[in-house]
Amino acid sequence: MELIVALGIGVLVASGVWLILRPRTYQVIIGLSLLSYAVNLLIFGMGRLRVNAAPVLEAGAAVDASQYTDPLPQALVLTAIVISFATTALFLVVLLASRGLTGTDHVDGREPGT
Amino acid sequence: MSDSMLLILLVALPFVGSLIAALLPTNARNAEAWLAGLIALAGLLITASFFPAVAEGGVLRFRAEWLPTFGLDFSLRLDGFAWLFSALVTGIGVLVVLYARYYMSPQDPVPRFFSFLLAFMGSMLGIVLSGNLIQLVFFWELTSLFSFLLIGYWHHRADARDGARMALTITATGGLALLAGVLVLGHIVGSYELDQVLASADLIRAHPLYLPILVLILLGAFTKSAQFPFHFWLPHAMAAPTPVSAYLHSATMVKAGVFLLARLWPVLAGSDAWFWLVGGAGLSTLLIGSYVAIFQHDLKGLLAYSTISHLGLITLLLGLNSPLAAVAAIFHILNHATFKASLFMAAGIIDHESGTRDIRRLSGLYRLMPITATLAMVAAAAMAGVPLLNGFLSKEMFFTEALTATAPLQSLEAILPYAATLYGMFSVAYSLRFIHGAFFGPPPVGLPRTPHEPPHWMRFPVELLVLACLVVGILPAITVGPFLDAAALGVLGAAKPAYNLAVWHGFNLPLLMSVIALIGGVLLYLILQNYLLSGVEGTPFVRRLAGKRLFERSLVVLSWRIARPLETLLGTRRLQPQLRLVVVVALLAGLAAVGGWQLAAGPPQFSGLDPALTLVWAVGIACAIGAAYQAKYHRLAALILMGGAGLVTCITFIWFSAPDLALTQLLVEIVTTVLILLGLRWLPKRIPEDEPMVQPVTLARRIGDFAIAMFAGGGVALLAYAVMTRPLPDTISRYFTERAYSEGGGTNVVNVILVDFRGFDTLGEITVLGVVALTVYALLRRFRPAPESIAIPEQQRVQNAYDDARPDRRLGDTVAEYLLVPAVLMRLLFPMMLVMALYLFLRGHNLPGGGFVAGLTMAVTFIVQYMANGTRWVESRLRLHPVRWIGLGLVFALLTGIGAWLLAHPFLTSHTRYLELPWLGSIPLASALFFDLGVFSLVVGATALILIALAHQSLRSVLVARPVSPPSKED
Amino acid sequence: MSGWLHHLIIVPVLLPLTVGAGMLLLEEPRRRLKASLSLFSTLVLISVAIALLQLAQGNGAEIGVYLLGDWPAPFGIVLVLDRLSALMLLLSSVLALASLLFSLARWHRAGPHFHPLFQFLLVGINGAFLTGDLFNLFVFFEVMLAASYGLVLHGSGTARVKAGLHYIAVNLAASLLFLIGVALIYGVTGTLNMADLANRLPAVATEDRALLQAGAAILGIAFLVKAGMWPLCFWLPTTYAAASAPAAAMFSIMSKVGIYVILRLWLLLFGADAGSVAGFGGSWLFYGGLLTVGFGTIGALASQDMSRLAGYNVLVSSGTLLAVLGVTDMAITAGALFYLLSSTLAISAFFLLIELAERGRRAGADILAVTLEAFGETEEEPLHEEEEAGIAIPATMAILGLSFVFCALLLAGLPPLSGFIGKFILLAAVLDSSGTATVSLDAWLLLAAVILSGLAAVIAMTRAGIRTFWAPLGRSVPRVRLIEITPIGLLLLLCVLLTVQAGPVMYYLQGTAEALHAPQRYIEGVLSAPRAGQTAQGGGA
Repeated sequence: MELIVALGIGVLVASGVWLILRPRTYQVIIGLSLLSYAVNLLIFGMGRLRVNAAPVLEAGAAVDASQYTDPLPQALVLTAIVISFATTALFLVVLLASRGLTGTDHVDGREPGT
Repeated sequence: MSDSMLLILLVALPFVGSLIAALLPTNARNAEAWLAGLIALAGLLITASFFPAVAEGGVLRFRAEWLPTFGLDFSLRLDGFAWLFSALVTGIGVLVVLYARYYMSPQDPVPRFFSFLLAFMGSMLGIVLSGNLIQLVFFWELTSLFSFLLIGYWHHRADARDGARMALTITATGGLALLAGVLVLGHIVGSYELDQVLASADLIRAHPLYLPILVLILLGAFTKSAQFPFHFWLPHAMAAPTPVSAYLHSATMVKAGVFLLARLWPVLAGSDAWFWLVGGAGLSTLLIGSYVAIFQHDLKGLLAYSTISHLGLITLLLGLNSPLAAVAAIFHILNHATFKASLFMAAGIIDHESGTRDIRRLSGLYRLMPITATLAMVAAAAMAGVPLLNGFLSKEMFFTEALTATAPLQSLEAILPYAATLYGMFSVAYSLRFIHGAFFGPPPVGLPRTPHEPPHWMRFPVELLVLACLVVGILPAITVGPFLDAAALGVLGAAKPAYNLAVWHGFNLPLLMSVIALIGGVLLYLILQNYLLSGVEGTPFVRRLAGKRLFERSLVVLSWRIARPLETLLGTRRLQPQLRLVVVVALLAGLAAVGGWQLAAGPPQFSGLDPALTLVWAVGIACAIGAAYQAKYHRLAALILMGGAGLVTCITFIWFSAPDLALTQLLVEIVTTVLILLGLRWLPKRIPEDEPMVQPVTLARRIGDFAIAMFAGGGVALLAYAVMTRPLPDTISRYFTERAYSEGGGTNVVNVILVDFRGFDTLGEITVLGVVALTVYALLRRFRPAPESIAIPEQQRVQNAYDDARPDRRLGDTVAEYLLVPAVLMRLLFPMMLVMALYLFLRGHNLPGGGFVAGLTMAVTFIVQYMANGTRWVESRLRLHPVRWIGLGLVFALLTGIGAWLLAHPFLTSHTRYLELPWLGSIPLASALFFDLGVFSLVVGATALILIALAHQSLRSVLVARPVSPPSKED
Repeated sequence: MSGWLHHLIIVPVLLPLTVGAGMLLLEEPRRRLKASLSLFSTLVLISVAIALLQLAQGNGAEIGVYLLGDWPAPFGIVLVLDRLSALMLLLSSVLALASLLFSLARWHRAGPHFHPLFQFLLVGINGAFLTGDLFNLFVFFEVMLAASYGLVLHGSGTARVKAGLHYIAVNLAASLLFLIGVALIYGVTGTLNMADLANRLPAVATEDRALLQAGAAILGIAFLVKAGMWPLCFWLPTTYAAASAPAAAMFSIMSKVGIYVILRLWLLLFGADAGSVAGFGGSWLFYGGLLTVGFGTIGALASQDMSRLAGYNVLVSSGTLLAVLGVTDMAITAGALFYLLSSTLAISAFFLLIELAERGRRAGADILAVTLEAFGETEEEPLHEEEEAGIAIPATMAILGLSFVFCALLLAGLPPLSGFIGKFILLAAVLDSSGTATVSLDAWLLLAAVILSGLAAVIAMTRAGIRTFWAPLGRSVPRVRLIEITPIGLLLLLCVLLTVQAGPVMYYLQGTAEALHAPQRYIEGVLSAPRAGQTAQGGGA
C-alpha cells in the first residue's frame, strides 16, 4: 500500500512541479492545487497508513492508543487544507486581476518577446 | 576646569556650534561668522593652554567607556604632535572664518556653510585627538563626509557636484580600507588604543600580517593626502568656495593623511616595504604635482597641484625611514599650511574682486591691488623656497635628507638629490607664474569686474599668515622651535634626533641645490612663457593622465558595463526561472542532506498491494497527468481532471480511516471548483492552433522542466515511502488519543485536537482565511476585466435576442427560464442544506464534522442559490454581510479563548459539560464548541465573501459602464 | 512572573488580532476610528514589548513559557519568551508604529481594510517570534504572508498586481516546502515542539538521520526564500519596490523573520551540543550569504531608482547576516544581532523616505542616474563666470536631504551612526574568531564582502542622492506632512541612540547570544513548564 500511495504522491508532485514551471497563470494554479494534494497526502502518511482502524473513540471505554490511527497528522492536514484553499482562492483572484490589468495570462504580465 | 573636561570641550564645541549655526536664519552672515569665529578662537585658546603640559613630551588622556565588550572606549589623547595639529586646525580656522565672512556673497545661504565648516573642524580635531584607532577612523570618515558637503556647497553647478562626489568616493573608499587595516592591526595587537599600538612596534613589524596592514592603512592615508595615483580628486575639489579650499585643501583635511603616516611612523616605518611604498608614492607625487602645476591656467588649480606636490614632499620625507627626515616632514607640514592658506586666500581675493581666476585673462593687477600683490608675492616666495622665508628652511632640510638618505638601492640614493633639485626648479617656476601671470604685465582688459583692494578685514588673515612666514623664516629657533620640538617628541619620543633650526648653515651642497633650483626655475619659466601664453589646455607629455575622465569612466563601467549585465545574468525578473530555482535548490539541498546516508527504505513489498486501491490510484495518476497535459488549452478538462485527482485523495483518506479529512477535502474540492469555474470566464480563449512552431529553445526548456519535475516527484515519493515503511516513533499523539475524551470531552480525536489541543493553530488558520477573503474583496473591487471578456456569453445573447424578437417577453426571461428547474430545486434544498450544516456542526466534537465543514456547507448553500437564481434574486431576498461574519467569527473564537483567563487558566483552556438533547443525544457543551462556532461563522463569511465577490463580476457585462460596485453595500 | 502578568506573553498576538477582528465589525467609512484603534494597539504593543524585554532580562536565564490550552509541553502549543524573541517583538512593534504613522497621511485610504490587514500582519510576525512549535510557526508564517499579500496589493495597480503575482507564487512554493520539511521531521521524530525536537534529535537512529536531515534542509530552503538568499531572492527587490511605502517598511522586518527562525532553530537543533548533526549546513549559510551580499551589491550599483536600491540593500543586509550566522561563534552572533537592529531600522526609514523624496520629482526626470552618467552630465561648464551664489534648499528638502544622508551613512556603514558600529562589531568579532596569530580565509572573505558592499552603497547612494537633492532638475518641492516625516525621524533617532548606547545594548545582545548558544536552558525551561491546573495561580516560568 505504501508503495501505491508513495507513487501517487510522486506523480502528483511531478505533475504539479511541471505545471508551476509553465508560462500560463492557469497552469500554475492547477499545479499548485495538485502540489497541495500531494503535500496533504505526505503529511497524512507521516502518521503511517492504517486500514480500518476506528476513526473515533467509543465514549467511556478505556482507550488503547495503539488501536487508533495517529490523529495529529490528520489535524495538521486539516489545517493545511484550509490554508491551501485560502491561498488558492487568492492566487486565482490575483491571476484574474493580472489578466485584467495586463491583458495577458502570462505569468510575467506580458507575452514573451513583446 | 580639569584638563579632561577641556579636552572634551575642545572636540565637542565645534559640533555644538554647528548645530546652532544650522538653526540661524539664512541671511545672518555676521551672527554666523561671530559664532564660528568665537568657537574656533575658544578652541585655539584651550589648545594654547595645554602647551606647558605637552612641551616636555607629556601626554594628556581622557577615557570613557563606550563599547567595553569590544575593547572600544571613547578616548582622547593629546601629545605634542596632536597639539601642533589642533593649534593648526583651530588657528587657521579662526582666520578662515574671518575671511569667509567677507568672501561669501549675501545671497549665499550661510547657515549651511558655517554649520558644515564647524562640523568639519570638530571632526578634524577628533582625528588628531583620537586616543584609539577605531575612533580615529570614525572621525576620519566624518571629515570625508563634511568635505563632500562643503565642496558641493554650490550644488547647482555641475563641477561642484562632480568634484564633491569624486572627493567623497575616493576618500571614503580609502577610509574603508583604513578601517579594515586598523581592525587587523588592533586584532594582532589585541587593543585599538593608540598607546598599546605604539608600544608594540616590534610585534607589528615582525608579524606576517604586517604587509597587508601596511597596504590597507596606506590606502587610507594616500587617498586622503591626494598622493599619486589618487591625487586627481584634489584639483576638482577646487569647485568649493575658496575659504573651504584654504582650510580643507591646504591646512587641514589633506594633512590628515600625512598626520596618520607620522602618527604610526614609529610602528610601521623602518621596513623596506615602507620605504618603497611611502617613499615611492611621495617621490612620484612630488614631481608630477610640481610639474603639472606649472601648466595650470586656473589660479586655484595651480595651487591645488602645488599642494599635491608639497604633500608628496612630506610623504617622501616620512618614507625615508630617518628620524631627522620625520622632523623635517613635521616642520614642512606647518610651513606649508601657513603659506598655502595665505595663497589660497589671495587667489580668492583676486577671484572675488576681478571675477575670474584664469591666469590667461589676468595681468597687471599690481597697479590695482598693490598690498594684496605684495602679500601674495611673499607667500609665493615662501612656496618657492626663497631664503629668509619659512619654506626655505624645510626645503633645505629636505635637500639635506635627499643627500644623506640611505635607500635599499644604491642607484636610488644617487638619483634622489637630482629629483629634489628638479622639484625645486618646478616649484620656483609655478610660483613665478602665479605672481607674474596675475600681477604683472599690461593692465587687465575685459574682466567681469574692475579689480580693487578688498575690504581690510578680508585681507587681514593673509597679512597675519604672511607675517608668520617671515618671522619663522628669519628667527625659526625662537619662534617655532619649541612647538616643533614638542611635536617631534610626540612622534619620535626618545628617538628624537638633534637638529638645528638655523637660517644659515654656511655654504654647503643643499644651498647650492637651492641656488640651482632658483636660477633653473626662473629660466624654465622664461622658456615656457610663450607656450603658456598660447593658452593651450592641459599639460605636455601627461595629457593622457586625466584622472577625472578615468574616474568617471570607471564608475560608468562599474555600474553600466559590469553591474547591469551581471544583474541580468545572476538575477531575473521572470517568474518561471525563479520557481525553477526554488525547486532545483530544494532538490539539491535534500540530496546533499541525504548524501552519505542511505535512505534505507525497506524493499517495496508488493504483497500489500490492494487491487482496489491500486485501481483507484491508477485513475488518480491518470487524472494528475491528464491535468498537467490539458491545463494549457482545455482549462475545463484540466479542472475536471484535477477534481478527479482530488477525489482520489479523498478516497485514500477514507481508505486509511480518516473520514474527517475526506469530508473536508471533498467540500474544499467543491468550493475550489466553483471558484475556478467562476474565474474561467475572465481568462483569454486559447486555441491549440494558434501555437507557433516549437522553437528548439522552448523544447530544450520543456525537456529540462520535465526532468526537474521527474526528479522532484521521484524524490518526494522516495522520502514518503522511506518514512511510511518505518515503524512509527513514539509520537506525542498518544497523549491526545488517551485524553481526547477524558480531558477534551470529545470522541473525535482529530476534532478535539483542532479545537482544543491545538486550537491555537486553528485560530491562526481561520485568521488566514479571513485575511485572504479581505484581500480578495479589496482586489476585486478594483477589478478591470479584459475588454474582450466583458461581452455577454454567446448563449445568453441568443436567448436575449429571442426575447427581443417576441413583444410579449421581457429581456432576460429566457435566461431565467432555462434555469427554472434547478432554481426551484435549489430553493427547496436551501433549508435542508442549512439543517445539514447545523447537524455537521453539532456532531463535530464526537463524529466527523465540525465548524469548518459546517461552515463550508453553509457557504455552498448560499453560492448554490446565487448560481441557480442569479445574484439579483438572492440579494433582493437575503442580504449577507460576509465581512461581519468574519469579524464575529474571530471575536467569538477569541472571547472563548480569553474566557479561560477569568479562571486563571491560560488562553484557550477548555471546559466541558454535557447536554442531553432529543434526537441528537448528548451534546458536549465544551467551551471548545463555542470556539468551533467562531470557526463556523468565519468560514461562512470568508467563503461567501470570496464566492460572492467573484460571482458579482458577471454583473460587469451588464453594468460595465458604471464604476465597479462592491459586492455588498454595507462594506 | 505569575498571575495576570503571565498572560502578557500572549498579548502581542492577541491584541492585534482582537483589534483587527473588531475593526471588521465597523463600517468601512469609519477610518478615523479604525486609525485610532490601530494606533492604540501599536502603542500598547510597544509598551508590552518593553515590559517583556524587562522580564526576559530580569529573570536572566529563566525563559517565559505560555502553555496554550494549559496542555503541557511538548503536547500542546507553547509560546516561548526569551531575550531574542523579546528583542524582535520590540523591533517589530517600533517599525509598526513608524509605518502606521506614515500611512495615516494618505496610504490607509488607498484601499479597503488597510488597518485590519496591518494588524493581522503584526499577529503573524509576533506569533512567529513567540511560538515554540514548528507547525504553529507555519501557521503564523501563513498569517503573516496572507496579510503581506494583502498589503503588497494594497492600492492595486498593474505594477503591484504583477509583482504580487510573483511574490505569491514563490511564497506558496516555499510554504509547500515548509510543510514537506515539517512532515518529514514529524515522521522521523514524532514531535513538533522545538525544544522536544532538540531533545530527541541526538537520539535519532542513524538510519533515520538521512530523512531527518533531508527534512531539515527542505525546511531551511523555505526560510531562506523568506530571508532572500541568492538565488532565491529575485522576487524581493521587485516586490518591495512595488509595495506601498508603509508596507515596504514593514516588509523589511519580514525578511528578518526568516533570519530569526534560522538563528533560532539552527542553533537550537544543530548547535554545538547536537551530537553528530552539529553545525549541519553551516558552510551553506556562509557561502550563500556571501553570494547574496555580492548579488545585492551588484544590484545596488545597477539600480536606477531608489526603491530598487533599497530592495537590494535588504539583500545585502540579509546576506551579511546569513554569512556571519554560518560562522557559529557567540561574539559574532551578538554582533550580528546589533547589525540586524541597525540595518532593519535604517532600511525601513529609507523605504519611507523614498516615497517622500520621489513625490516632488518631475515625471520626465525620473532617475536615470546610471544612464545619464553613461551619456555624460548635461554640459561641461567652463571656468564659472556666473555669479557665485548658492541656492537655499527649502526647509522640507533640507530635512529630507538630511534624513537621506543619515540613511546613506547607515546603509554604507559610515560614522557617526549605528551602521558603523554594527560593521565594526561584526568585523572585530569575525577577526577574533580566528586566532590572533593570523586571519583565516573566511574572515578575509567576510571582511572584503562587508567593506566592498559598504563601498558600493556609498557610490550608489551618492549617485541617487545627488540626482534627487542637488541636481537642479526642475522639481517642485514635495508637499510633505509632519506625520510623514516624524516616523522617519523616529527610526533615525533610534539609530543614533544605538550608537550612543552601544555599550548597554551590546550587553543585552551578549546575553542573548549566550542564551542562544546554550540551548539546554531553553529546552529544560519549555519542557518543565508547570500547568496552571496544577499550580494554584496561573503558573509558568
